[in-house]
Amino acid sequence: MTRIYVFKRFERIWHWTQALLIMTLMLTGFETHGSYSFFGFESAVEIHTIAAWSLVALWVFAIFWHITTGEWKQYIPTTEKVQAMMSFYLTGIFTNAPHPFHQTTLRKHNPLQRIAYLFVLVVISPIIWTSGWFYLFYDSWQDWGFGWLNLEYVALFHVIAAFMMLIFLIAHIYLATAGHTATSHIKAMVSGWEEVEDEE
Amino acid sequence: MMKVIAGFFAGMLFFAVLGWQYGGAFMFNEYESPFGVEETAARIQANMQSLSENGWKLSALRDPGKAVNAAGSNVLPVLLVEACSTDYSGPLLKDDETRLLSILMPCTITVYKKQDGKTYIATMNAGLMGKLFGSKVDEIMTKVAADQKVFITFDASKPAPPLIKKRPGGGGAAGGSDDPGC
Amino acid sequence: MNNTGKNLLRLVMLAAVLLPFTAGVVNAQTTTSEVVEKAPDEVEKSANIGSTADHSKFKELDVDFKSGPEVTEACLACHTEAAKQVHNTKHWTWEFINPETKQRLGKKNVINNFCTATSSNQEFCSACHVGYGWKDDKFDFSQESAVDCLVCHDTTGKYKKLPGLSGHPNYKTMEWPPKSGKFREPTDLTKIAKNIGKTSRETCGACHFYGGGGNAVKHGDLDSSLNNPQRYLDIHMESDGLNFSCGKCHESNSHEVSGSRYAPTATDQEGVLIRGNNGDRNPTTCRACHGNAPHKSVEQAERLNHHANKVACQTCHIPEYARGPLATKMTWDWSTAGKLTEDGKRLLVRGSHGRVIYDSKKGDFTYDRYVIPEYVWFNGNVKYTLFGDKVDGQNKVKINEFLGGPDDPESRIWPVKKFTGKQPYDVGNQTLAVFHTAGKSEASFWTNYDWEKSMEAGMASVGVEYSGEMDFVETEMSWPITHMVAPKEDALTCAQCHRENGRLQNISGVYMPGRDNTPVVDKIGWILALLTLIGVVAHGGIRIVMHKRRQ
Repeated sequence: MTRIYVFKRFERIWHWTQALLIMTLMLTGFETHGSYSFFGFESAVEIHTIAAWSLVALWVFAIFWHITTGEWKQYIPTTEKVQAMMSFYLTGIFTNAPHPFHQTTLRKHNPLQRIAYLFVLVVISPIIWTSGWFYLFYDSWQDWGFGWLNLEYVALFHVIAAFMMLIFLIAHIYLATAGHTATSHIKAMVSGWEEVEDEE
Repeated sequence: MMKVIAGFFAGMLFFAVLGWQYGGAFMFNEYESPFGVEETAARIQANMQSLSENGWKLSALRDPGKAVNAAGSNVLPVLLVEACSTDYSGPLLKDDETRLLSILMPCTITVYKKQDGKTYIATMNAGLMGKLFGSKVDEIMTKVAADQKVFITFDASKPAPPLIKKRPGGGGAAGGSDDPGC
Repeated sequence: MNNTGKNLLRLVMLAAVLLPFTAGVVNAQTTTSEVVEKAPDEVEKSANIGSTADHSKFKELDVDFKSGPEVTEACLACHTEAAKQVHNTKHWTWEFINPETKQRLGKKNVINNFCTATSSNQEFCSACHVGYGWKDDKFDFSQESAVDCLVCHDTTGKYKKLPGLSGHPNYKTMEWPPKSGKFREPTDLTKIAKNIGKTSRETCGACHFYGGGGNAVKHGDLDSSLNNPQRYLDIHMESDGLNFSCGKCHESNSHEVSGSRYAPTATDQEGVLIRGNNGDRNPTTCRACHGNAPHKSVEQAERLNHHANKVACQTCHIPEYARGPLATKMTWDWSTAGKLTEDGKRLLVRGSHGRVIYDSKKGDFTYDRYVIPEYVWFNGNVKYTLFGDKVDGQNKVKINEFLGGPDDPESRIWPVKKFTGKQPYDVGNQTLAVFHTAGKSEASFWTNYDWEKSMEAGMASVGVEYSGEMDFVETEMSWPITHMVAPKEDALTCAQCHRENGRLQNISGVYMPGRDNTPVVDKIGWILALLTLIGVVAHGGIRIVMHKRRQ
C-alpha cells in the first residue's frame, strides 16, 4: 500500500465547487423545466442564473489552470486497457480482482474516466453551455443575428444535455466508491492523497 | 441492538417530519363547489339554518378580503361562514378539561375562489379532532362532523338563497348584540 | 419547500398584523397635512376651478332654461366651435369605421350580446347619447343645439338622462324608477349650467360604468366603484393617491376623446409620449407615460421589460377584473326571457349576491367578482359579426374576434372578458336579429313579451323584412381588460403563468419554461436516469454481497 498525491489543492477546490454548482443547477434547472416545485419558479430561475454565472467564472480559472500546468493532458483519451477496465467493472470488482489501472500522479484518471470526462467536456458541456447561453439571452437573439432561433429547440437541447449530465452524475457518484476501498477515491478528492495498491 | 434503536428513532423522526409537513391535510378537508362564492356561502347558511333542531344558529359572515382591500391589496374572494350550536358547545365549555376547545368555536366553514377560477369549501376535520380528545369530545365531534356534511350538501334544484350578512361579534367577546349567538 | 412556505406564512401573518398600524400612521399624517394646508374657501375655489372662467358669474346663464337645447345655445354663444367638434366624434355619431377592416361599427351598427342593438330602441338607448331628441332614424345629426353639453360637463351630479326620454333629462316631475313610488324633481338646468366644469369620473361613468343595462354589467373593469376607488382597486384612480380622472389617460383634443375599443392600441413601442409630439399616436396607453422600460428597481427588471415584447402590461398588472364590491355580468341568455309570474306579471329573481339573475324582460344572467381573465393574442384589430353577416345557428357566433397571433410582431397577449350568451337570430335571413325591446308600442318586447312582433318591428327598423322564423344562437363577445390596474405587488407572479395549467395555458406559439416541455425527451431522460440509478444500486448491491461472502 502506497499513498500518492494526485489532486492538487486547486483541483480539489475546483471539483467540489463545481459539484455544488452542478447539483444546484440540476435542482433549479429541472424545477424551471416544470418537473417539480421546490424553490418556486422565480427563485429557481434566479438561483439557476447565479449558479450558471459562477460556474462560468470557475471554468475560466479551471481552463487557465489546466493550460498553464499542462494537466489538460490527463484528458487525452487512450484505448489502452479500456477493455480491461470494462471487464473489471463487470466482473473483477466483485471478486476483489486487482485494479487493471495503476494510478500515478501523472496518470490520475483510468482509461474509462478519461473517455467519460472527455465526453462531458466535448459533448455535454458544449451543448449545455451554448444552449444555456442562448437561453439566458433569449431576448437578444435579434440583435445577434439569431432571430431565426426558436426557444423551444434551445430549451430542448439544454434539457437533453441536462439529462446526460444527470446520468453522468449518478454514475460518477457511484464509481467514486469503486476505488481501492469504498471511500478511498472520495478521501483522495478531499485530501489529495490516494491509496493505491503496490505494483506487483 | 444500537442499530435497531437508531432505526426506531429515525423512524420516529421521519413520521414527525411527515406530520409537520402534511398534518394540515388531515386536519382540514377541502371540497370543490359547483356554485360561485356567494351562492355557496348562502347555501351553506341555509343548510345551517335547516339544522336548527340541533341547536345551530348563524353567528357571522366574515369577509377577510375586505381587510386586505383596506390595506391596499387584493386577494381572491373568501368568505367565512360561522355558526354555533349550544347543544355541542355547552358540554364542551362546562368541563375544564375541554374548555380549551373553545378555540374551535364558532364552527367555521370557509368558501373561497382559487386561481383556477373555481369555488372551494374548507371544513375542519371535526371527526379526527374529536378522536384526539377522548370519548366525550369524540361523541360530540362525531355529531358535528355529521352536521357539517349536511351543511355542504347542496340541492341544486332549490333556488339560490340570499346571503345573510350578519354583523360579526354576535354574543362573542365583542358583545353588545341582541342575538346571543354562541 | 414547505418549510420555506411556512416561514413565508409566518412573515405574511406578521405583516398582516402590522399592516393596519402602518396604514393608521400614514392616514394620520395625511390628515394633519391637509388641515395645515387648507386655504380660505374663496381662494380655494378660484385656485381649484381649473379654468379662468367661473360660469356661475356669467349673465348669459342667468336664464330660466326650459330645455337642454336652450342651454346648449347659450353655451354655443361663446364656445362657437364646440358643437361642430362634438359632431365629429363617436360620442355623437355612434359610428366608427375601422380603418383596417372598413367595417362600419359603433353603437349605431353593432349588434352585441347584451341589449343587442340600438335600432328601433333609440328612445331608450339615447339616454347615453351626447345629444337631445334621437328617438328614431329621422334624427338630424347636423343640429348644433341638439348637442348635450351638460351630460359630460355637469359637476353637480344632479343631471340625469333617463331611458325613454330620447336623450333628454326630465323637465317635469317624473316617477323613477317606473312604478317605484319615487319621484324625481324637474332638472334645475340653470343651476347645472352655472356649475359646469371639466369632465369627471362621475360624468364619464354615468354611461360607461352602466353599459349593458346596469352598473358593472358590461366591461368588468369599469363600474361605479371607480368613482371613489381605494388603492387596491385602481392604483391610478385611488382617491387618496394619484386620483386620476378618466381624462388623465383619455386625453382629449377638440372634444375627440382618445382611446377606443373599436380599434385599440394593442402594442405601443414608442416610449414616453412627449408633449406636442402626438402625431397620430394614441396617448391612452400604459407606455405613453411609463415608457418602454418601466421595470427598474425590481428583481429581474430587464427580463420583465423584455416580457413586454410578447405580453401586454395589462396581463400581469390587472390580475383580475371586477375587483370592486360589484359583480360583473358574465352570461346573458335571452332565450328564457318572457316567463311571467302566475298572475302574469314581470318576474324578477335575485341571486345570493343580491343581483337580478332572472328578469322576464331579459332572461337569465350570471355574475362574478374577481374574475380571472381569459388571454388572447391581440394586435388591435377587431372583426365584428355585423347585421347581415351569415349566422346559421349551428356554430357559436363570435360577436367580435380579436385578431393577432404569436408570429405577428404587433400582437401581444391580452387579458379579455369573454361574455357569452344566447340571443335571437332570424333563421330565414340567416342574420343576428335586431328586435324591438324598449318602448311603449305594441311591438316592444318589454311591453308584451311577444318575440314575433318584436322581431318584425326591429328588423323593419333596419330595412329588412322578418322571415317569420326566429331562434336563439349562442354568442360570445370579447372585451379588452385595461382599467382597474392593481398595485404593483398584486401583479401576477412568474409561476402563475410558468406552470402547467397556469394563466396562459391556452396561449399557443410561445415556449414557456415551466409550462412547456417535450414529453418524449422528458420520458426518455427520466427512464435512462432511473435505469442508471437501478444499475449502480444493483452493482453496488452485488459488490456488498460478494464482499460479505469473501469474509
